Amino acid sequence: MDCGGLIMHANDGADAPYWNGLAEGRLLLPRCGCGDWLWPAANRCGVCGGEEVQWIERPMRGTIFSWTRTWHRFGFTESLDLPFVSIVATVDDCGIRLLGRLDDPDQVDPVIGGAISGRVGATRVEGRDIPTIIWSRS
Amino acid sequence: MHPLYGTTAVAGIGMRQYRRGASPLPEQGVLVEAILAACADAGFDSAEVDGFVSYGDDKNEPVRLMPALGTRDLKWSSVIWGGGGGGVAGAFGLAAAAILSGQASAVIVFRALVEGSSGRLSAAVMAHHLNDHMLAAGIVAPAQVCAIRANRMYEHHGVPQSVAGDLVRASYYHGSRNPEAVAYGTEFDHKEMRRSRWIAEPFRLFDCSRENDGAAAFLMVSADRARDLKKPPVYLLGCANGAEKGWGDLLENDDEQLYPTAGFRPIARRLYAETGLSPADIDVVQLYENFSAQGVASLIDHGFCTYENVAEVVRFENLIAPTGKLPVNTGGGNFAQGFIHGIGTAYEAVKQLRGESANPVADAKICLLAGGPGAPTVSSAIFGNDVP
Repeated sequence: MDCGGLIMHANDGADAPYWNGLAEGRLLLPRCGCGDWLWPAANRCGVCGGEEVQWIERPMRGTIFSWTRTWHRFGFTESLDLPFVSIVATVDDCGIRLLGRLDDPDQVDPVIGGAISGRVGATRVEGRDIPTIIWSRS
Repeated sequence: MHPLYGTTAVAGIGMRQYRRGASPLPEQGVLVEAILAACADAGFDSAEVDGFVSYGDDKNEPVRLMPALGTRDLKWSSVIWGGGGGGVAGAFGLAAAAILSGQASAVIVFRALVEGSSGRLSAAVMAHHLNDHMLAAGIVAPAQVCAIRANRMYEHHGVPQSVAGDLVRASYYHGSRNPEAVAYGTEFDHKEMRRSRWIAEPFRLFDCSRENDGAAAFLMVSADRARDLKKPPVYLLGCANGAEKGWGDLLENDDEQLYPTAGFRPIARRLYAETGLSPADIDVVQLYENFSAQGVASLIDHGFCTYENVAEVVRFENLIAPTGKLPVNTGGGNFAQGFIHGIGTAYEAVKQLRGESANPVADAKICLLAGGPGAPTVSSAIFGNDVP
């Protein structure tokens, strides 16, 4: 797929601490002084106008918000065995939802609301390893 | 009354459509043919066109069309932001804004798509959205983005998956009877659809629209001027475009209640408030369906049904002309009429209101055009062949 060089890569945006955290095996997420979690990551809180963003470590635990199992070979997914399951995971104790992948050894359909725990892996795209949370059903 | 209500009209339409990769001309050539056809349809000199509007990253900057069209004065060229089909209906509102504010007087709304010239549409759409969060999750295509939302709508909000099949069947039923449709003359096998290969669950191949080459163009002028042209005017009665807080390009962090929708709740609210119309006043719907579930979500957002009663409303028999109470995609829609980034749905809206549809809805006066669902910015419009 030709994306005209428009893809934003890690470490050049407001979410750089997230990527750096994953590279160290930690899940860091941004929270404003007013208590509001900011995701997508932002340098300013739209709720209170604050610009003091703290990056807080969260355990890699959460629940499945939704999912899809991909069977078609789309460009950029060449490193993933088909079929693979992608999920939106709600992280415990902050409510931020993250895109990630879910272990799917037996092709059992995921259940929305089901508890999951994660570990840091990587997804290889165009010769680059992107840190990725790989979730498993707990 | 709202300034958009019945003050501008579509006076002429033109379309060229081919199978993907089969266009006999490059993109700009096909577009020029469609624009000339729209002008001829209205009995209007193409040199008098002074404005152009498109959406979805169309590559044809209007100034480059001037030599072929004989354009004398270019006064307005603009696009609706956004890479998806969310802007298709909003483009008509933008053209009306130009005309009503006196910044142009004859505006062409268009969309052209020829793969050999500008590549795959799905890739162009995703270029707006792709980032490392998505790439890491293996989410790289519109089908997957919409599939995740669809699963939430089906599993968590209790919408039965069977309704998506009824919507697809209705589109193919109409398309098979429309000589201008890619599915013309083909019999659609519902069982074959159910067996078609998985793309991204819950979507099988037949839940996905597939791109065509082609272009369509619409000549918009003031309502007064349209009444003096060759074809009966199709009036723009209302148009809304945008997104509300808690919806947009939010890395799946949309408001929980908005997440499984198609993004049209604020659009429908404004559209009905500004026109004084309600879903009960809509005679026929032209519905942009990129994927089956998003078409269903769009019907829910526009107030035709709810999560609870969707199966009573989105039934094949209820969706087909001339007997259904909610005829949808009477030209065949993106699934079966053809998919030039959704512009064919607007084309059928005008045909239907002129009484020129291959699947006419008796006495149809008001048509809703629901734009690309699930896009960060979406739009819809209401057209009428009279100004009630």
